[in-house]
Amino acid sequence: MSIFTPTNQIRLTNVAVVRMKKAGKRFEIACYKNKVMSWRSGAEKDLDEVLQTHTVFVNVSKGQVAKRDDLSSAFGTEDLTEACTQILAKGELQVSDRERQSQLEHMFRDIATIVAEKCVNPETKRPYTVILIERAMKDIHFSVKANKSTKQQALEVIKQLQQSIQIQRAHMRLRFVLPARDGKRLKEKLRPLIKTVENEDFTEQLEMVCLIDPGCFRDIDELIRCETKGKGTLEVLSLKDVEEGDEKLE
Amino acid sequence: MGHTSLEKIIALQKKTPHIRNLCILAHVDHGKTTLADCLVASNGIISSRLAGKLRYLDSREDEQIRGITMKSSAISLHYTTGNEYLINLIDSPGHVDFSSEVSTAVRLCDGAIVVVDAVEGVCPQTQVVLRQAWLENIRPVLVINKIDRLIVELKLTSQEAYTHLQKILEQVNAVTGSLFTSKVLEERAEKDAEAQSSCTENGSGDQVYDWSAGLEETDDSDLYFSPDRGNVVFASAIDGWGFSIHQFAEMYSQKMGIRSSVLLKTLWGDFYLNAKAKKIMKGAQSKGKKPLFVQLVLDNIWSMYDAVVTRRDKEKVEKMVTSLGLKVMSRDLRHSDPKVLLSAICSQWLPVSQAVLSMVCEKLPSPAEISAERVEKLMSVGARRFDSLPEQTQELKKAFLDCSADETAPVIVFVSKMFAVDSKALPQNKQRPLTQEEIAQRREQARQRHAERQAANQSAETLKGTELNMLPTALSVKTAVEEDNKEHFVAFARVYSGVLRKGQKVFVLGPKYDPSLLPEGCSAADVLPSVPHMACCTVDSLYLLMGRELEELDEVPTGNVLGIGGMEEFILKSATISTSPSCPPFTPLNFEATPIVRVAVEPKHPSEMPKLVRGMRLLNQADPCAEVLIQETGEHVLVTAGEVHLQRCLDDLRERFAKIEISASKPIIPFRETVIRPPKVDMVNEDMGKQQKVAVIHQVKEEQTKYPEGVQVDSTGLVTLTTPNKMATVGVRAIPLPEEVTRLLEDNVELIRTMEQFSLFAWEDKTLDINQKILENIQEFKVKLESNLQGRKWRGAVERIWAFGPRRCGPNILLNSVEGYRRPSVWQCLEREKETEKAEIRDFDNSIASGFQLATLSGPMCEEPLMGVCFSVETWDMKLSAPLAQQDSIDEDSQTAEPNIDNQNESSDTHETNASSASSNRSRSGAEAAGSSVDCYGPFSGQLIAAMKEACRYAFQAKPQRLMAAMYTCEIMATAEVLGRVYAVLSKREGRVLQEEMKEGTDMFIIKAVLPVAESFGFADEIRKRTSGLASPQLVFSHWEVISSDPFWVPTTEEEYLHFGEKADSSNQALKYMNAVRRRKGLYVEEKIVEHAEKQRTLSKNK
Repeated sequence: MSIFTPTNQIRLTNVAVVRMKKAGKRFEIACYKNKVMSWRSGAEKDLDEVLQTHTVFVNVSKGQVAKRDDLSSAFGTEDLTEACTQILAKGELQVSDRERQSQLEHMFRDIATIVAEKCVNPETKRPYTVILIERAMKDIHFSVKANKSTKQQALEVIKQLQQSIQIQRAHMRLRFVLPARDGKRLKEKLRPLIKTVENEDFTEQLEMVCLIDPGCFRDIDELIRCETKGKGTLEVLSLKDVEEGDEKLE
Repeated sequence: MGHTSLEKIIALQKKTPHIRNLCILAHVDHGKTTLADCLVASNGIISSRLAGKLRYLDSREDEQIRGITMKSSAISLHYTTGNEYLINLIDSPGHVDFSSEVSTAVRLCDGAIVVVDAVEGVCPQTQVVLRQAWLENIRPVLVINKIDRLIVELKLTSQEAYTHLQKILEQVNAVTGSLFTSKVLEERAEKDAEAQSSCTENGSGDQVYDWSAGLEETDDSDLYFSPDRGNVVFASAIDGWGFSIHQFAEMYSQKMGIRSSVLLKTLWGDFYLNAKAKKIMKGAQSKGKKPLFVQLVLDNIWSMYDAVVTRRDKEKVEKMVTSLGLKVMSRDLRHSDPKVLLSAICSQWLPVSQAVLSMVCEKLPSPAEISAERVEKLMSVGARRFDSLPEQTQELKKAFLDCSADETAPVIVFVSKMFAVDSKALPQNKQRPLTQEEIAQRREQARQRHAERQAANQSAETLKGTELNMLPTALSVKTAVEEDNKEHFVAFARVYSGVLRKGQKVFVLGPKYDPSLLPEGCSAADVLPSVPHMACCTVDSLYLLMGRELEELDEVPTGNVLGIGGMEEFILKSATISTSPSCPPFTPLNFEATPIVRVAVEPKHPSEMPKLVRGMRLLNQADPCAEVLIQETGEHVLVTAGEVHLQRCLDDLRERFAKIEISASKPIIPFRETVIRPPKVDMVNEDMGKQQKVAVIHQVKEEQTKYPEGVQVDSTGLVTLTTPNKMATVGVRAIPLPEEVTRLLEDNVELIRTMEQFSLFAWEDKTLDINQKILENIQEFKVKLESNLQGRKWRGAVERIWAFGPRRCGPNILLNSVEGYRRPSVWQCLEREKETEKAEIRDFDNSIASGFQLATLSGPMCEEPLMGVCFSVETWDMKLSAPLAQQDSIDEDSQTAEPNIDNQNESSDTHETNASSASSNRSRSGAEAAGSSVDCYGPFSGQLIAAMKEACRYAFQAKPQRLMAAMYTCEIMATAEVLGRVYAVLSKREGRVLQEEMKEGTDMFIIKAVLPVAESFGFADEIRKRTSGLASPQLVFSHWEVISSDPFWVPTTEEEYLHFGEKADSSNQALKYMNAVRRRKGLYVEEKIVEHAEKQRTLSKNK
């Protein structure tokens, strides 16, 4: 501690406060930093490693202990440990630095993994590795938002990444059979949604195998169903059009 | 000797009997390149003063820095002793990692100089190179190098040195001998096998074993090295001297009046000079006399070193110099470093190049003397015997043996490797001294430019104009630079027959080319029919290889080593070039080291991926031993022979081929997840269930909390789960598949895929034609499955298979055990003829299958695919679908149910609001009915998929789960001394030895072991380091193996606590792997952020 600290002011250190309001009263407990999250996820099983003391406070920093009556009215027990575990499980807490850091790190990894799973290099039709995606995400200075789902963020990242590297959502391979009557009309409507047509057979009915962007699937699905009144069929041949197996470069 | 002119060499190239193609082979640091330097210096290409320091043939920068040779490079030398000889010398690397370069060098040669360090003796690589020379049937000669170290460093007396040299010679001969015996034994074994088979055919019981055949009969005396045979030279390349016994024999025969032939025989060996009788007597050792070699040869050298280096006795030195009749420059005499004086004297007295080159010319064969045996070996690829080759091809053998440079002789050239050359180094682009006119011209140009510039300065308003003019010039300069940087590949080759000319049309035959496939009668002039692995091209340019430089040639006659330019599009790594299409491709090179060090390579900037891929392609072409591949995961993997080789490959990629920053890392290691039968014993090998379980100290999460609401798990592992809208309930049980079944499924992926396709078509009332062969295979596959799935549990299981997964063809099975539900079997392609008895497909059949596919694709442990798990659907109740099923036409429903998987996946990422639009995603008649099944939980089929997937996952978790690791089989060749260390490395890396046997006729052991892929990073390097290079491993992926430890295991019994302590996280390999994968994927890992709460820094940050 530096010499400038006034001697009459004692700072709380290594303390994380968990608060809970119950029965109109505020209760606080003093915990160690970086431990509450582990307790909640079940990784930490020793309560003494989480709690500084088995006491319930009204205000931790002032050292005001909660009254026995208030405790029993709020928690239905006078057992302090029991009250502490209840507060630990449900109270609001300050997320400490390392907890936040590890959470963001996990999310970042998770986003990169999702991106790597969904995308391919359009030239080789092969996925990128997670490490490469992570590096690319760092290059475009992507920052994780803790309150948004990783999947949502992953979709945003894909759009941003497209500006810096050759990346693309892996295409879906679809096959649909349309009645001849609707075929011609629908084809025009479908055209903007389809990336490449692999196979087209228009004899009695229109049969097509094509690659689409997964984002368009819902539109195509809806279009076919509504326009043909359930007569057309749609079938997914593969979710991800990627090269399989190892390839030797020669 | 002055610099040999190009014309001279061209003239010499035509005299085939006077050509010697040879390479220098040795262990690393035994002085190959130094010796090569001395030989190069004898031709005046470099100064003899610099010989041994310059390392002329190490042209790469990193070769000079590291001080080891990394590639083989060739140079043509000229040597005169009565006859004029052309010597094509190839220097090769000695490090194990580059032994592929040695193979490429050895193939092109007829002879080899094996260099052995006089102090270190025979080293691992010496054995390897001797074996390589042996396998290629080329004749070796021996140079014992660094004799000066015996004098200066070890301070041996001449007598001791003699015995030391004798020992080394014995070691070398022992290696040769063992090669010979193993060959003889092999031949005998073959003969025996043949005899045995013929015996059994005849049915005669008595076999006569002929033990005497073999070693004694075969004459091996000409294989060994011995100074009196003239195939050994003693040398010190660094000091520039070397001698063979011949030289001394001749010297002393004049002096002492003894016939040189007598001296030659007695100079090496147990002979001494009886001074009184003036006779040479036998038995020097027993009589305690100095052997002749010591007295006449070594003593002289010793006294020379003593005078020059140790005592620096000027007078004595002068005396010696004059008595030897040499001239030493006074500058050298006065030099403060005695080594300079020494080498000045020695290189005149006993020049090493003289000794070595004369031995080479005498003892090594010329290209014309190629043996028939070697030709046959070269021409017969793989297991094919020479006799089985087409007749035309066999005729070419004569061309080989003739080795004639006639116009009519067919051209046969073998390319052993491709090497990249900077376009600057090519002779076309080389800077020549300018002629007078050119200089004048340039001066004129410069003057004009100067004038222009002045004009531009004067008129300021024209500034803009000039700027515009500047732009295109800048651009053109840029393109020129790019062109310059292009790598050119030169093929490292040798002509075996005929004359290769510039502009000639030739066939390029790949290593897999088969002459017997060729249609009759076609020649190079014809328009080519497309034959696999064959191309036709014109020879662009021919080069004479002169170390770092290339000289352009117009034609190269037979027997010469050369470089061919402009072949990069036709040749990948090695090839055979011929004018006759019936020429067989040469046998592939035997590589002593196979590539085993794997790393994943990535560009620093992800946008530079295409550059990396192009660079890796070039690297693959330029390096005979490197392999590059793209894996399914998208990783670019580089496989190299060792760490040093890896470094070189990465440097090459960075600086020459890709020219980008790259990073290399450990490749991703795949795992599989599986379940096993409940184990009978616990971790301390006690019977389960017998002892009392002690109270669990930490509160383990209660069993029920593992499963959320709506999931019921009974004690036998049956999981029942209801969809959120309470309409359907599925009951699933996970059962481990027997190992053989898993293997069977893995091996027959293609068949399963065909069957799957058939069923798909069958749903649409179409048929897919499958040929008879495949049908038979499927039938066989089914029978095998049935035979492996025996027992009560599996009764009728094969018929009830619903699907395979993941991706519809994996090693997991979905079983239909629902009572009263008969669906068409997956085997319907087999029973096409039979009327399928009213098998009906229930509604949403496909949703169940899709749920299974998703569940098997990523398991609950670490999202890796499952393997060897059978999910048996035991109950499947639907409240709603019963009326629906009757209305719906079956086929359509089964098809349309599928897109819902994607709905499920996409719903969260595209629009979170799962609109009712998805609901009507059903077939026409079902549309209205299905509409009712839509509620707040989304489409019903999607719900069912999710429910099935979850049910599978919980069923999986209800059984003892295990991780499966990919395993390598590892074959290690090691000598007996290092066996213990090999075992230590293996056991440290969780390897398991399967067998160990001794190779017949040698002291090498062959160890077979399995090793987890996860532990293999750095394995090759460690094993080489620990065994000083005496063991060399080879790794091949073999199979998946269950890791026996349970990743979720915690100690529960008294004994286990005693053994492992409370946490027991030290020994759990499976947990380590699982957590590593989870961490890599960003999944939740159960570990504390801070281990000890009290030990955190107790100061807040801002104080």
